[in-house]
Amino acid sequence: MVASGGNGTAEVLLEARQISKRFGGLAALQGIDLKIFRGEILGVIGPNGAGKTTFVNCISGLDKPTSGEILFKGVDITKMPSYAIGRLGLARTFQVVKPLKQLTVRDNVAVGAMFGAKGATRTTAQARAYAEEILERIGLQHRKGHKAAELTLPDLKRLELAKALAMNPELLFLDEVMAGLNQTEIERAMELIRGVNRSGITLFVIEHVMKAIMGISDRVVVLHFGKKIAEGNPQEVIEKPEVVEAYLGERFAKRVRGERKSP
Amino acid sequence: MPERKLSRRQVIAAASILVLLVALLFVPKFRSEYELLNYTRFLILALMAQGWNLIGGYTGYAAFGNVAFFGIGAYTTGLLMISKWAVPFFPAMFCGAILAALVAVVIGLPVLRLKGHYFAIATLGVAEATREIADTWDSVTQGSTGIDLPVRSEGEFFYYSALALVVLGVIATALLVRSKLGYAWVAIREDQDAARMLGINTTPLKVLAFALSAVFAALAGGLTAYQNIHVTPGDFFKLEYTLQMIIATIIGGSGTIFGPVLGAGVYQLLSTYVWTKFIELHPTVLGLIIIFFIIFAPRGLMSLVSEGLKVVRGQKRFRWQGLLANVRAHRVT
Amino acid sequence: MSSAEFAQIAVNAILLSGILALVALGFSLVWGIMNIVNLAHGAFVVLGAYFTFYLNELAGVDPFVSIPLSMVTLFIIGFIVQRVLINQVVRAPLLATFLLTFGLEILIVNLVNYFFKADLRSVTTRYSGTGWTVGVVRVPYIRLAALGIALVLVALTAWFLRATRQGRAIRATGMDIDAARLTGVKVGTIYSLTYAIGAALAGAAGSLLSMIVPFDPNIGGPYTQRAFVISVLGGLGEVANVVLGALLYAFVDVFVGARLPELSQAFTFAALVILLVLRPEGIAGKKFYA
Repeated sequence: MVASGGNGTAEVLLEARQISKRFGGLAALQGIDLKIFRGEILGVIGPNGAGKTTFVNCISGLDKPTSGEILFKGVDITKMPSYAIGRLGLARTFQVVKPLKQLTVRDNVAVGAMFGAKGATRTTAQARAYAEEILERIGLQHRKGHKAAELTLPDLKRLELAKALAMNPELLFLDEVMAGLNQTEIERAMELIRGVNRSGITLFVIEHVMKAIMGISDRVVVLHFGKKIAEGNPQEVIEKPEVVEAYLGERFAKRVRGERKSP
Repeated sequence: MPERKLSRRQVIAAASILVLLVALLFVPKFRSEYELLNYTRFLILALMAQGWNLIGGYTGYAAFGNVAFFGIGAYTTGLLMISKWAVPFFPAMFCGAILAALVAVVIGLPVLRLKGHYFAIATLGVAEATREIADTWDSVTQGSTGIDLPVRSEGEFFYYSALALVVLGVIATALLVRSKLGYAWVAIREDQDAARMLGINTTPLKVLAFALSAVFAALAGGLTAYQNIHVTPGDFFKLEYTLQMIIATIIGGSGTIFGPVLGAGVYQLLSTYVWTKFIELHPTVLGLIIIFFIIFAPRGLMSLVSEGLKVVRGQKRFRWQGLLANVRAHRVT
Repeated sequence: MSSAEFAQIAVNAILLSGILALVALGFSLVWGIMNIVNLAHGAFVVLGAYFTFYLNELAGVDPFVSIPLSMVTLFIIGFIVQRVLINQVVRAPLLATFLLTFGLEILIVNLVNYFFKADLRSVTTRYSGTGWTVGVVRVPYIRLAALGIALVLVALTAWFLRATRQGRAIRATGMDIDAARLTGVKVGTIYSLTYAIGAALAGAAGSLLSMIVPFDPNIGGPYTQRAFVISVLGGLGEVANVVLGALLYAFVDVFVGARLPELSQAFTFAALVILLVLRPEGIAGKKFYA
């Protein structure tokens, strides 16, 4: 669901203008324009190498765009360091999870609570208590005393999410949280994500699992070779020939067009 | 990081520490002048190790040049004491610590941007460079001939001063480590990018850890300078000091509150023993000890102790393979 | 300074760069392939020097002739050291390998000190001190020969890495250890081989040095440091870069040494920090394995 401003138009939480990123000769991102509306779940798909993670890196401050601007809640965050962006209320997970291995699960999440958007108001004890709440919601409380190094992959993925949630973000970027999960785990993850959204957090979800993206997204954006090639209603977007061609190749796309059916 | 309520385990731990402390208080009464010297050396090493532990153990930046701060502390203390203002010892030592901290901030800002090996070697270079500067800056440091501090020879004075500083150091470490700063340091060590993403402003915090390690080293340097009376660049910027503080921390358990003190004690014990038995081959044996610990017990004695306690409590079974587990983990076949 | 002084300094730098390249090559190979900063590298240089010295002293073997023998001996020592010690911590965090190789260095240097004493030694032969005078510049024959041999060894190593199966296996392991393993490379053996080669090259450098400078057990440390700086200067990927780095370093070192010898370490350190902060990839190389 999308929150609306007073006069019925949706509030823009994040706006990316003409974002380009070059690595030497390679253009990883080319002139991406994107608006993220408060309250929505924006699904982001695209073949490998399309630039999805690069985009998230540029927005979250891990990297800087070669050109373009990013506005978050009206503030220009293009050149802001990542810790400051985090404190403003923008959090992300990493595709290859980054747990703090020698800390317990609880302390991992507590760190997010201590240094995130509401961190300044919390003591370490309060942060740890809040961490336990989050672990409860996520379903990791039974492992709270274990070191992160001991966790299985699905649990590590949930820990990654918990850490980000502990930062009290308004906007959360999820980068392929479902990679490596089985069907049941995917269903649970989808429910979890919907729950997070219902609690008021806007989501930007990169995913390869089509079923999941289709199931949770309000809107979908498709990236290909660093460009945005489609944007809009999920069902409409994936039937667009450009999108089919990007994923499945030209021959298959022609076949789809010929049959006027989606594969 | 432990719970708020005091468990029985913690009461026992606190009690044993108290007993140890009281024992340490009485050492000068029951030990000869010579043995007292050894105890003092242990305490000074513990002080340096505690400082190193903050930047190397908790924050994960293996600094290899902290002897630079030791020397800065020594020279500052000495020069102030013999200057026309004849600054008394403790204020002079304090100034040494401040100066060392400032130098650490100035050096730390560029150097802490480096990672791993690069950082280590850069800090090694800092120590060497500082030694050279002390050697050549004749007008201030009297170059390689060195300076002489006012004489004071009661062993007890040095012992109790060192003891007080070590106790303060333990308290300071405990407070820091349990605060948000401590969590931030560990986060930086475990994964700096993740730490930044979580809202931690890593640069000032790293520099702070580095500066604090400099303070500890400088205090140790000032004390040693007063005790030794004669201060030269060759003696006070020795790489050996850096090695000792690192090894002491590793032996005891880096990233723990008591590890450095424990490790310093063990190291001093070994070192004294080895000295009396193998004077000429002393470094060889120490080298072997380092190698042994690195291969078989890299997490230090504190972790061996906690693992051992688990066995005693029946939470874990004792297996010989346990000792080799670390070796297997890091091998390449 | 006069142009004559400058010319002599330039020649000294070029002559020195050969040995520096040799020392740095072994070091950067181990670093690049195994990600091990071998602080004991300098100790191997020292061992090479003493080997040549005693072979000359006790058996009258010409120092140049002793070079292959020194290399073989150091190769074996390096192989054993890697197998027994280094291998235990290859995948451990950096501090572990650092301290281990440091402990090793202390051990070796102290043993050398114990058995051979710390007096300054030097290998002198009939032809020491002879040289070629070109205009205002003096080129000692020994240094010239040392340069030549060093370059030959460097070239041989480069050829070995490129053209032989073992050499390619080494490079493959350095690029992607798992992929290499999948193609049948025995990584453990490769690591031992690499470390042994590094030690052999260091030994050769030590043998050459024994003829050129007076040495004692403690000359190793500064050579390890130089090897480190050169490896950083040149980057860890290519042999040619190491040579370039060595040349550059030699020039700066000799130049600074002529003007401000007491502050050479401070200068090196400052240069190193500036370089690393500005350009972690080194001057020419890619950040291959760092």
